Amino acid sequence: MSDGPEPPYEGSASLRLANGPLVGPVLCRVVSMVLARANCPMDRLEDAMLICDALSAHAQTHAADGHLTFSVSARGGEFELRVSELPEQGASRLVEDAVLPGVGNVLERMADQLRIEPAADGAGEELVLGLSF
Amino acid sequence: MTPDMQLALPARAENIAIVRHAFGALGDAYALDPQTLSDIRLAVTEACTNVVVHAYPDGREGPMEVLATLMGDALTVVVRDEGKGIGPRPDSPGLGLGLPLIASLTESVRLGRDGGEHTEVRMTFSLTDAPHHHGATAHDAVSLVADPPLSQ
Repeated sequence: MSDGPEPPYEGSASLRLANGPLVGPVLCRVVSMVLARANCPMDRLEDAMLICDALSAHAQTHAADGHLTFSVSARGGEFELRVSELPEQGASRLVEDAVLPGVGNVLERMADQLRIEPAADGAGEELVLGLSF
Repeated sequence: MTPDMQLALPARAENIAIVRHAFGALGDAYALDPQTLSDIRLAVTEACTNVVVHAYPDGREGPMEVLATLMGDALTVVVRDEGKGIGPRPDSPGLGLGLPLIASLTESVRLGRDGGEHTEVRMTFSLTDAPHHHGATAHDAVSLVADPPLSQ
């Protein structure tokens, strides 16, 4: 018996992957697990998977040194996915690449928030994507 | 050598499932034999469970890191934490079978500290041979590395 409503789930994970076949499958599985635990509805989970697919398809060509870091967090109906280790202009090029014919830009259409920030260590850029659910 | 996959999470029980899923994806990406992948996931689960149960006994939340590096026909997986180190624990809530189980599933396992503040379990898996083919017992396969000495 609990004394009250459960506190909202707060989950986070940081993932650093070598460029190559691991990026797509591992990113999608980790993001889907974090969102599932946060009780994300199915339609938003599918949006997140499309975002992951677009990122894994294009981010590898923009990685600064052969690795990419993805930081995911979910709390209170908000999900954030941060892509790091992108070179200068890498984040904007990544967004530009995520265009599907007849669909448009997947990242801009699916994400509720999209912004580009300078990397915390001053080297390169980070792409930050947000989803609300 | 830079790991192919590095996963950092809070050391909570629910996050062990995320680690297992990440290794499932790694198995897909590297087309690992299902039995080998099952052994890897079980050993990694045991190592992560040890972190969750034993690394931070005072109730504080700490990090759990899992690193995987593929080198030729071997996969090295390191599970590490910033806890108090590996040692005897008379009040342990577990049965004490975790490390022998890990040893039976791996080519080799080393316990110890890395150069920093991390306690680590370093497991090597052969991707060409199931561990039971090597004839090594759990006792043979475990080595304890304490430099500096492990804390308790």
